[in-house]
Order: sequence, then structure tokens, then C-alpha cells
Amino acid sequence: MSDTERLDRAYHYVQKFIIEHGFAPHFVDVAHEFGLKPEEGKALVHELLQTGIPCWAYPDTDYIASFAPFNSQPTQCRVTVAGETRWFAQCGFEALAITWMFPKRTVQIDAPCLDCGEALRVEILDGELQNEDPAGICAFVDIPFQEWRSHPLA
Amino acid sequence: MNLFRSEEHARRWSGYRVEAEGGLTPLRDMLYIFSAETFTERMGGHYIRDMAGFRQDLMARIQEIKGDDPFWSVPR
Repeated sequence: MSDTERLDRAYHYVQKFIIEHGFAPHFVDVAHEFGLKPEEGKALVHELLQTGIPCWAYPDTDYIASFAPFNSQPTQCRVTVAGETRWFAQCGFEALAITWMFPKRTVQIDAPCLDCGEALRVEILDGELQNEDPAGICAFVDIPFQEWRSHPLA
Repeated sequence: MNLFRSEEHARRWSGYRVEAEGGLTPLRDMLYIFSAETFTERMGGHYIRDMAGFRQDLMARIQEIKGDDPFWSVPR
């Protein structure tokens, strides 16, 4: 198996794990999945996190903190699918992309306005905006696009 | 990368910077950008192998929504 194929399988496993559980797997979970020793699973996780995808470990640990579009640590962007509030989005923008992780299911995003604290709700089905409450919600990022990679939480 | 009640609320936010005015985007437009292959193909099975090729679709969508806004310019 090539390195890329191995990383693709690991990537797919982590995403599926988060979809099922709502949080990222530990490296031992990754090791079990691929028949590796724990240290080899840890190395695979770090290798995956260094591919340039918008994902990272909590600083100075081996815990997957964020794996776009999801976040393993709580954020202000809560995600509900089929009545289950189980996931957190990496940020307000990636919250919109979570629709692609749950095809044929309505994804509900609840996030407060960071200015006034008012509850915002967005519902999306297969990339189509179903509901926006209140109307007129906007997205804002203060980091220019070309710097996003160096500011993952812009 | 946050959601706000409106553009006025975003401009009032403590983290707002006037130099980043280009970072304001209506929700529907941001959903369109985040519907590029970079985001839709994550469960395709070969995301790592193929991700460089997804960038073109993302760039095209940004160009369509943001035009030549330097805030959204792409490094060459």
C-alpha cells in the first residue's frame, strides 16, 4: 500500500469515526483499525495532520483537536442531525460544509452572534439552504484568504 | 471565521478590523464557496490523493463571488 493510500484510508476512518461518535478517535483507535502498534498509530495520526488539511492536534499532545469540518473540542457552532446534537464545527464557515458529511439529511447549525449573543440557526440539506433564522446572517473572517493556512482559527 | 446576526453586527464586533471589510460575506454566498469540491469530496475515499486538484473549483467559486477583491486573492 502506498503512503498516499494509507493516509487516505486513515483520513476516511477519522471522518467516519467523528460522524459516528461526535468526537475524534484516539491514536490507539487508529492503531486498532489498521492493525498497528499504538506508537505506529500515533505516528500515522501525526503524519495525517501534517498533510496540509485543515486539521490539528491540541498543542503538545497527540489528541486530534480539530479535523475539518468538525472540531473535537467544543466550539460555539453546535451541529444537530436528525434530532441529535452531537457535533461541533471547526468554525462558522466549516459549519456550512458539514452538510456534505451527511447526505440526504438536514444539518442544523446553532451558533450565537459573537457581537450580541443572539442565537442564530441555519438548516441545510445537501448544500441547499433550508432555513436561516433570523434572516440576514453573514459570515466574517478577518484574515485574508491567502493566510488561512497559517491561521487555522481566523 | 464566524457567523453574525448581520453585517452591522459583524462590524460592531470587538474582533472586526476595517482592513478586513472584504471578509464580510452573505451566508448564501459563503455556503456556495463551501460547496466547492474541496468540501464536497471529503468522503470520496481519495481525499488526500486528490485534494490538490480540488483547489481549482474553490478558486473559481471565490472569483465568482468575490471578483478581484485583494482580500481573497490567491498566492501565485
